[in-house]
Amino acid sequence: MSNKKEREKRREERLAEEAKASSGDRRTRLLQIGAGAVFVAIIVVVVVIVIAGSSSDSGGDAENLQEVSQVDSLVQGIPQTKLVLGDTKAPVELIEYGDLQCPVCKAYSEEILPPIVEKQVKEGKAKIIFRNFLIIGPESLPAGAAAIAAGNQGRGWNFLELFYRNQGKENGGYVTDDFIEAVAKGAGVKDIAKFNQERTSKAVEEEANRTTEQAETLGFGGTPSFAIKGPNSNGLELLGTPESSGELEEEIEKVS
Amino acid sequence: MRIPSEANLRRAIAFIAALGVGVATYITIADSGGGSPTCLAGGHGCQTVAESSYSHIAGVNIAIFGIAGYLLLLASAFFVSDYVRLGAFAVALGGFGFSIYLTYLEIFKIEAICQWCVASAVLMTIQFLLNATRLVGYAGTDGDAGNGADDREPDREPEASTA
Repeated sequence: MSNKKEREKRREERLAEEAKASSGDRRTRLLQIGAGAVFVAIIVVVVVIVIAGSSSDSGGDAENLQEVSQVDSLVQGIPQTKLVLGDTKAPVELIEYGDLQCPVCKAYSEEILPPIVEKQVKEGKAKIIFRNFLIIGPESLPAGAAAIAAGNQGRGWNFLELFYRNQGKENGGYVTDDFIEAVAKGAGVKDIAKFNQERTSKAVEEEANRTTEQAETLGFGGTPSFAIKGPNSNGLELLGTPESSGELEEEIEKVS
Repeated sequence: MRIPSEANLRRAIAFIAALGVGVATYITIADSGGGSPTCLAGGHGCQTVAESSYSHIAGVNIAIFGIAGYLLLLASAFFVSDYVRLGAFAVALGGFGFSIYLTYLEIFKIEAICQWCVASAVLMTIQFLLNATRLVGYAGTDGDAGNGADDREPDREPEASTA
């Protein structure tokens, strides 16, 4: 009798051990799957962030224009005539010779010029005139010509600012008709047919080439280069490439 | 460190998931009305984020994915099985990873912060921690799916039920 009881007891213990072991196995398996999932998730997040980090640096994406609303709010309410931003009667004129393909011009448009636009230009003290200085390469002309055509519809500075914010790699082949049209639409150019016709016209191309020669005649060798003229300036004064908003502001104050 | 009882973990998971559903639903409704979520402290962060090209995937507002994720997590709190523990952990892990990516976009790409998105990211992080604790603490402590519709001993210690 007692033998039988003992056997039963041992059998029960064995079954309990086995159940415990199988539960332990399952637990180990589940934790392995969980750890594997964490490992995969880390890799996916890192890869996606690396791809996202490198993709938008390339810019020039007609399908995915960035910062349309920021550009709108920067120049909203400021009068524009051709490529002149600000009141045409403003006493000081600050002339920027720039190339839409140039990354330094992009940095100026994003960091150095906005405080001037917000203050001196909005207050009617100064106007900024953009002139094409085509030096980077063959794609500079279609870009610059398009800016002139946008300027003819009063959206020149919207176009310049939006182009810079979506600028691609120099001579990287991104300045296509699609890209130019997307930027024009984002900049609020109303008559796209007229815009397309004008930007490829001889007159507009000649204007872009003429201002390039002008910059060379003035002795500028790189973009952006600035010149200033005001009531207290000695004719047209060459500023070269000032390093900060503060420096430009001082120059404006000096000649006004 | 003592692991909280599974019942308490499930209550916390349900509560946080319900908050998450609320936040994600608010973002979706505010966006679908043509506007954008309102930032509590003013500012245009939410508008900038909502108008950015990153706010939609294939035309679908990403907050919809948030609602789906939180609803799954909410449902998971009502079931006890290893499949549910692992599944909920996977959903929370995916949501957590996605939140890291979205926060990265806000800081480095869009350069604007939307409090509602941050709130969702924080809730998803808590979900991840709760579900990781649930999986590590209770995986293998009961039968397969359907074996226990609810735990009868809500405050039992983990791995103490084999006796």
